[in-house]
This record gives sequence, structure tokens and C-alpha cells, in this order.
Amino acid sequence: MNGLYIHSTASFLGNAEADINYLTGELRRLTPDNFRRLSRFILLALLGARRCIEQHSPAEDAAVYLTTELGGIDAVATALDEIYKGHSLPKPFNFINTMSNTATFYLARNLGIRGRSITVSSRDLSFERGLELLKLDFTMGTVKSALLGSVDETLLSQRTREEHTPRGRRVLDGSAWFYIASEKEGACGAFTGIRSFSDGAACRRWFKKGERGATDVLAFGALISDDESATWRETLRPAAEFDYLHEQGYSGAAAACGASLFVKSFPGRTMMHVNRDRHGRHTVLEVESFAEPQRSISLSI
Amino acid sequence: MQRRAWVTGKAMVCSLGDSLDEIITAVRCKRIRPAHLAFTLAGLPYAKPYYLIARNAGDKPENRNEKYFYDLLFSTLSSALADSGLSNAEIRDMHIFFGSTSMDVPVFESRQGETAETVANLFRRSSCGYGKVADAIGERFGIGGNCYSFATACTSSANAFLYAATMIEAQQIERALVVGYDLFNNLGHYGFEALKSIAASDYRPFDRTRDGMIMGEACGAVVLEGRHRNRGDFMHLGGANLCDTYGVSSHDEEGLAVAETMRRALRQADIRPADICAVKAHATGTENNDKTECAAMRSTFGPHVPPTTCVKPFIGHTVGACGVCELILFTESVRRGFIPATPGFREADEALNLTPLTEDLEAGEGIFMLNYFGFGGNCTTLILSNNEERE
Repeated sequence: MNGLYIHSTASFLGNAEADINYLTGELRRLTPDNFRRLSRFILLALLGARRCIEQHSPAEDAAVYLTTELGGIDAVATALDEIYKGHSLPKPFNFINTMSNTATFYLARNLGIRGRSITVSSRDLSFERGLELLKLDFTMGTVKSALLGSVDETLLSQRTREEHTPRGRRVLDGSAWFYIASEKEGACGAFTGIRSFSDGAACRRWFKKGERGATDVLAFGALISDDESATWRETLRPAAEFDYLHEQGYSGAAAACGASLFVKSFPGRTMMHVNRDRHGRHTVLEVESFAEPQRSISLSI
Repeated sequence: MQRRAWVTGKAMVCSLGDSLDEIITAVRCKRIRPAHLAFTLAGLPYAKPYYLIARNAGDKPENRNEKYFYDLLFSTLSSALADSGLSNAEIRDMHIFFGSTSMDVPVFESRQGETAETVANLFRRSSCGYGKVADAIGERFGIGGNCYSFATACTSSANAFLYAATMIEAQQIERALVVGYDLFNNLGHYGFEALKSIAASDYRPFDRTRDGMIMGEACGAVVLEGRHRNRGDFMHLGGANLCDTYGVSSHDEEGLAVAETMRRALRQADIRPADICAVKAHATGTENNDKTECAAMRSTFGPHVPPTTCVKPFIGHTVGACGVCELILFTESVRRGFIPATPGFREADEALNLTPLTEDLEAGEGIFMLNYFGFGGNCTTLILSNNEERE
């Protein structure tokens, strides 16, 4: 996969119980713009993306891809409460906030960008599917730079279930973002592969074909069981393993948070991230963290 | 030769009926039937029109439940798949592109009163997220490909269509099931009333006397493939999506971003403005939409704006589902030889300087532009053709 160079990345991991005023305060430290009446979901999106873009000026034509498992849960619940419990029409901004793509609007306006704007979800594999759409647009030449993010709030049921979720991980609000461009110069990493398989067997067949080199760092998504991860370990014999779920905790945005942390923390390494949905569809994401920012090499003839 | 994505199967359920014959006959006859729905929960002393699916007593909003939600969805998809003639193996190999504004919110609302829990708490506790409905489609039909659920407000299923077509053209996938689905829900009905966007009686986009939009519910599905099956199948020639950062619930009335979206779609399709035979406008009937869209069309087409139709007065504004549902209504009308006039249009608005079709227009082969806009500044334009020479 050529040309998906990561020029910056950052994540924001929030306590699921954190007050919305705390999120607003954090955002004020990153941008002078005054954001009012925004939902928790939108604030999370802005926090992660602003942290990511801090040192960069995205091109005016940059696209925004927002991936999410659940969307703006609190915003929808707030508006439903106004109707069913408060017996009134919802407040206009509370209703508008129920549309999760408004997060990409506020982000685009804040950054002064006007490119493509997509909010997409895919149960258990939202980040990977968003990256596939971005890759398609880069391949077709319709997009040359983009912000790709993954944002999710924590469900009430996850909060009350002793704050634990599959494989015993602490649950959080998560927002992870990548600024991606087709130029290598200045990049700190790259998405070097994203592949989808209808099931685990098809995924294993691809690995067995050996079209790729030795696995450096291996990581697993939230639905890969202990048994399955043991099988992958045995098959791939990685040099190292990165258990980002243990490091960071779980959110719907966990895969993106893990990739972001990898790029920042493991210069010179390459990560193979195996993930799956509840029906067994598998994805393999390859991320490279450059040892140092890339400089351009000019050739003259 | 560039590979194209062709619409080889389609089906729709809306206020006009649940078969394409019934729906297009109603369009020809201008048989429109909005119901009136009150805002009982908010204790408001009035009702507003809404285009409800009304085939039988089971369709009444108070009789609906989760089974109804999925039965209506699955029966529409079964019809679309049957229309395409795909084999079981081909269905297994499909990818799902789903677009909706409300997703499964109607399911949570239908559980009101089942427990002591509030609707909001049920939702907070047990929502499975935006991917749930597409996931259920995959399970029901044994579809093994990837699922993509688009949540870009009123452009949701238009963007689903755009990406499905582009993936087929890029030879990344062979075929796709593209779905637009939004059922009646109080969140949308009360929400748009809170924005004072809903008309009191008639739906009259682009009309000087317009007074807003009227919502509707619908489920539409198209099968897209890398080959055509029948003469008259429509193919995707190009499309574009951009963000207008003017306002979260309104567009810049000069129409700059909307016009740029149209121009990029034309470039993507490698055609000139003059090649467009007709335009399906987004035409929500709100002051802001109509001004924006007409300004953008004048900017894109100059003095020669192609014949333009507004189809929302037939089925209502079906929000996230309108991308696929209006595409079906428009292309199926063209396939049957006409572009429908805008029903209920009475008086041209000089400020818009654009009058939609007031009589049905005979249609044959050609290239057509379909426009969609939404909250969050989302702008999407699709270019379709039924002219096989364009392949």
C-alpha cells in the first residue's frame, strides 16, 4: 500500500465519568475557538484531532474520515430524554448533536478545511473500514491528505459492568487521530497494509502464502480471544507483542488508539494488527513507525 | 475500457407503496398521501404532515416493534436481490453499504413502556452502535463481505452508493448491496419541529410560497455490479463529496461549496455541464436549501440549467435514506420513459430564478445529476447514465 504516510498522530483517552466541562476546558488549551453546546462525542473528536494536528497545517482540501462504533450516545440519549421524560421538543442544538457527522463539521471548520467528509461505522471493525475508504480515495486520486480518526464514548452498560469489557479491560472514552498525506517527506510512519478476510481461515491462508516478511511486532484487537491469539503467536512467531489494550484500556476506538500509541512509542518498528468482528471477518492492519522523520531525496537526471 | 458500476436490482417501500410498479404509477398520477402526526408526547396542540408507510394496520406507528423494523428491511432487500437475479454464491460474496440517519433508534422508541426504564436509558445501556443494522443484514442473507454504515445525515445513503460504486470501479469488489433506511421516529419528527423546519400543510420546494419540509420514511435498496444485466440499467459515471463549513445546519447561500461539489462530480465523470439531461435536486423546501441549491446550479450550469425535478413531495424527506430512495424513484421513472414534474408546485420564486418541471418530461437515454445535502455541511453529487455508449 503506497502513499498513506502518517505525518502526525495523537489520542485522547478519557475517564468515562469525566465531566463535560473538563473536556471543554481541555479543548480550550488546544484552540482559541469558542465551542458551545457541543456533545461529549463532538468534544472527544475535537480533543483527539486537535492534539494530532497541533504542529501541522492541513491542506484546505484535506478530507476528514471519522470512524465510530456507537456514535454520539449521550447526545441521542439527551434528546430522547427531552422528548420522553421532559415531554417537550428537544433543544435545537441537542437534536443537531445527535447527528454524529456534525463532529467532522466542527473539526473541518476549526481547521479551515473543506475536503471530503465521511462518518462511517462497521461493527467491531470501524477503524479498519474507515482506513479502507481512505485508501480507496487516495488510490483513486480524489484525496491527497486527510485526517482519519476513531472516536467512541463508553456505554452505560460497560460502565456499570465493573468497568470491564471483553478480556477484562478497563473501559474508557477514546479518540485517536492520524494526519495522513501521500508525501513521505516529514512523515513519522505509514499505514503499509490493510486487508480484509471473510474468516480466520482465509486470513491464515494469506499469512501462509508468505507474501510478507517476518513479523516484527504483533498486536490483537479486542475480539481476538486468548486461544486465537496463541494460535497467531505460534504461526507468526513475532519478535515482540504489543498489548495496547492492557496498556490503555478498551474503547470502541481501541484499534486506532493502539496504532497511534505504537507509532509514537516504537520508532523503527513495524506492527501487524490482527482484528476480527463477532462473525469471524478478519482484518490485518500493518503500521510502520519510522525511526526518524523522513526527508525528501531528490534525484536529478 | 474503464470498469463501471451498474444498478442491476432495486426495490423500495415508501408511502406510495411497496412495489416499484405501484410507486411509479403513483408518481405518474401524482397520487400523494401524507398523513398527519401530532406531537402528543410534548403536549403540543397541533399535528404536522408526514409521509408514512401505510399498507395495513400493522404499519401504524403505535403497532410497530423490533420485528416490524427488521421485517420491512429484510423484505425490501429480498425484493432487490430477487430483482438482480444474483445466485446464492454471488450474494454471499457481496459487500454491504448502509446509510441512515436514525439507524435503529425506532427500535428503542418502540420499546417505550416495556420496562420501567426510560427510552434514553435503554439506549444508553444497550445500543449496539451504527453497525448493528448492516450486521443484521449480513447475518440474515448470509452475506460474507464487509459492512460499511454511513452516518452523514441526509447524504448517508448517497455516500454509501458513491463508495460502493467507486470500489467496484476500482475492481476492489465485484458487487454491493446499497441500502437507505429511515423509519419514522419521534427523535426526528420532534427534532425537526424544534428546528421549525416542518411545513404546515403542502410540500412545495423551490416555490415562492414554500414553508418548509415534510418528513417521510422509506427503505430502498439497490444491487450494484461491475456488469450490466439488462438494457436500460443505470451506471455510475462519477460523484463527489465535500464539506461546506458555513454552518452546521445550513449551507452558504451563495452555494459555493455545493457548486464545487457538482463541478467535481462532473470532472470525475469526465463530462461537461451541457451533457447533463436533467437534475434531481435535493430540494428540501427550506428557505436555506432552496437558495443555496439554486445559486449553485446557476453557478455550475450558467443560464442553461437542465430540466430539474424535486421528488421529495412524492415521498417526503426520507433523510439518510433519501440517497438511495430518490435515486430509485428517479431512475425507475426514467426507465419507464418520463422525468416526473414536481407535484404541488404553484408559483415561481424570482429570487431563485429556477423553476422546476411543472409537467412530466419525456425521457430516454441520457446523463443525469442527483444532488444531496445534509447537516454537518455534507454535500454529495452523483452522476448516473443509462446510455450504454458511455461504458
